[in-house]
Amino acid sequence: MMLVRWALAIALSAAVAAAVGRLWARMGAGGGPWGTALARLRRDRGGMVALHFLLFVATVALFARWLAPFDPNVQLDIINLASRPPSVAHPFGTDIYSRDVLSRVVHGTRISLSVACLAILLSITVGTAYGTSAGYLGGRADAVMMRVIDALLSIPRILMLLAIFALWGRVSLGALVLILGLTGWFATSRLVRAQVLSLKTEEMVVAARALGARHRRIVWRHILPGVTSTVVVAATLGIGNVIILEAGLSFLGVGVQPPTASWGNIISDGASNVAGLWWMSLFPGLAIVLTVMAFNIIGDALRDALDPREIQPA
Amino acid sequence: MSSLLSVRDLVKHFPITRGVFGRPVGAVRAVDGISFDVKQGETLGLVGESGCGKTTAGRAILRLIEPTSGQVTFDGVDVLSRDPARLRALRRRMQIVFQDPFSSLNPRMTVGAIVREGLIIHELAEGAAAHARVKQLLEEVGLRPEYATRYPHEFSGGQRQRIGIARALAVEPSFIVCDEPVSALDVSVQAQVINLLQDLQRDRGLTYLFIAHDLSVVEHVATRVAVMYLGHIVELAGAEDLYAEPFMPYTQALLSAVPIPDPQKRKQRIVLTGDVPSPANPPPGCPFHPRCHHPAKDAACARITPPLETKADGHLAACIKQPPTRITWEEQLAAGATHRPERYVPLALAARS
Repeated sequence: MMLVRWALAIALSAAVAAAVGRLWARMGAGGGPWGTALARLRRDRGGMVALHFLLFVATVALFARWLAPFDPNVQLDIINLASRPPSVAHPFGTDIYSRDVLSRVVHGTRISLSVACLAILLSITVGTAYGTSAGYLGGRADAVMMRVIDALLSIPRILMLLAIFALWGRVSLGALVLILGLTGWFATSRLVRAQVLSLKTEEMVVAARALGARHRRIVWRHILPGVTSTVVVAATLGIGNVIILEAGLSFLGVGVQPPTASWGNIISDGASNVAGLWWMSLFPGLAIVLTVMAFNIIGDALRDALDPREIQPA
Repeated sequence: MSSLLSVRDLVKHFPITRGVFGRPVGAVRAVDGISFDVKQGETLGLVGESGCGKTTAGRAILRLIEPTSGQVTFDGVDVLSRDPARLRALRRRMQIVFQDPFSSLNPRMTVGAIVREGLIIHELAEGAAAHARVKQLLEEVGLRPEYATRYPHEFSGGQRQRIGIARALAVEPSFIVCDEPVSALDVSVQAQVINLLQDLQRDRGLTYLFIAHDLSVVEHVATRVAVMYLGHIVELAGAEDLYAEPFMPYTQALLSAVPIPDPQKRKQRIVLTGDVPSPANPPPGCPFHPRCHHPAKDAACARITPPLETKADGHLAACIKQPPTRITWEEQLAAGATHRPERYVPLALAARS
């Protein structure tokens, strides 16, 4: 029964991938710069494998409740089933409380992935807004805003996070997203600002000004579209970092709080046990490594496909 | 004919700053006090080497760059003192066509969206009406109306320049700054774009400020020509007069470099020595004196800034050694002159006619 559900999940993610592919093909036929970039991405074998894998991970996160064989927080049989290595009934083994590790990893996927995605969404939004403002305003405002970024970037992020957690202790998931998101946008804003600085002197922007376009129109129609590709690549590459950061914080016990499962705190549960339950570190560890690697590969592929020099072929 | 545009003592200095606090340590005098008029319906050519300030001048007139000082009057309206809201209304009447047909079109917008933008900004047309207007504009500049759904990168340089012209025409301007509109194009395509600009001028009664570094192009299109050197206008005359008898030695040197399309005619070129001085540190007196070949050049040239004055009917030039000049011989002597002004036309140019 469980096997059927997993097969369905794999089929579903493959179907989504195929549908996305067809959509791309249609956009590519439209001839727009995004269409050609997506067509280029389709030819990137590594990128496509990574994309398929991520779609699968996303499916797992979405349908965690149906794909997990057990309730992740229920202690199945504390006497007979605690700390069991992988078996047919429990492919990823069980933890010291006799909870099914596969179920915990599946539910952890949901938590880890959504925390990372929401956090990166937040930091990209804030970073883009801040960087665009600084770059577009220019002059003194830009100088002040960028000195602030220099100062913030000089503090190591993990130190900043530990200081925050030392201040507030254990936090809810929402607060964790806020904290991760609001400490991750500094580098993005710098990247965006540099791009905006070069875009705003381009003749197409001067042409828009000559036509009498207002600032809002110039920013939304002529500057931000030019920044999107940079931001998309930064977000994809950044998401891997956030996953690792969240896992690290959860491992240290300040991130996602038990009993809620996240990849980081499952590893932590395994590591804190003297017996050395290797399956408790290996499987969530693999999940982290593979997912982060897939995000990085797809980020690289996107960067190649969206290369701004390629967007305007001479 | 009356003046549509009048420019007086236009100055644009770009400050050179140093250090974290942006301490100004000097200025690039890109445009250093130029004055001219553009009459209704004419084409004023503005020529000069790269870096002489002609593009800056064109953009400062449209306030795409804020000028440091000076006065620009367009159809009786003071352009430089207008607040942003009223300047926007004025922009409908003054447009610009750019040099680079690649960077001047947004690669992420369709041709239709690019041409439509002005219509939307000034609320001239919407929806189906805007769509029809775009098609009409594309036809007017010699492009097929169905190109509206394509993207700029699918077109050649000449076609892209036509798109840029259609964008400018959309808001029905009366004055267009053509900032080297053909410099980036193949010679064969240059003629087509120039013909298009001339046809449009005739049909719509447009007035052009035509910026270029190619003198033969300007000779073909311009009614009058202004020659710029290091941020100054050094000669201003009707196109025929200027090409027939240039006064300013710099203009003479420029003209001698224009190829003559006749293999039988041999000509001598005036080869300028040295580089254009930096506009951050221009020479005193006449900006051209370190490179001047006029036989009467002397110490006075380095002391007296030559005024742009009438040399012949409707012919202005800035040279104290080409008579007539309002700088008297006594004044020149006081500045260390050793040679009296004398009319000089180099042999190289005599061969042209």
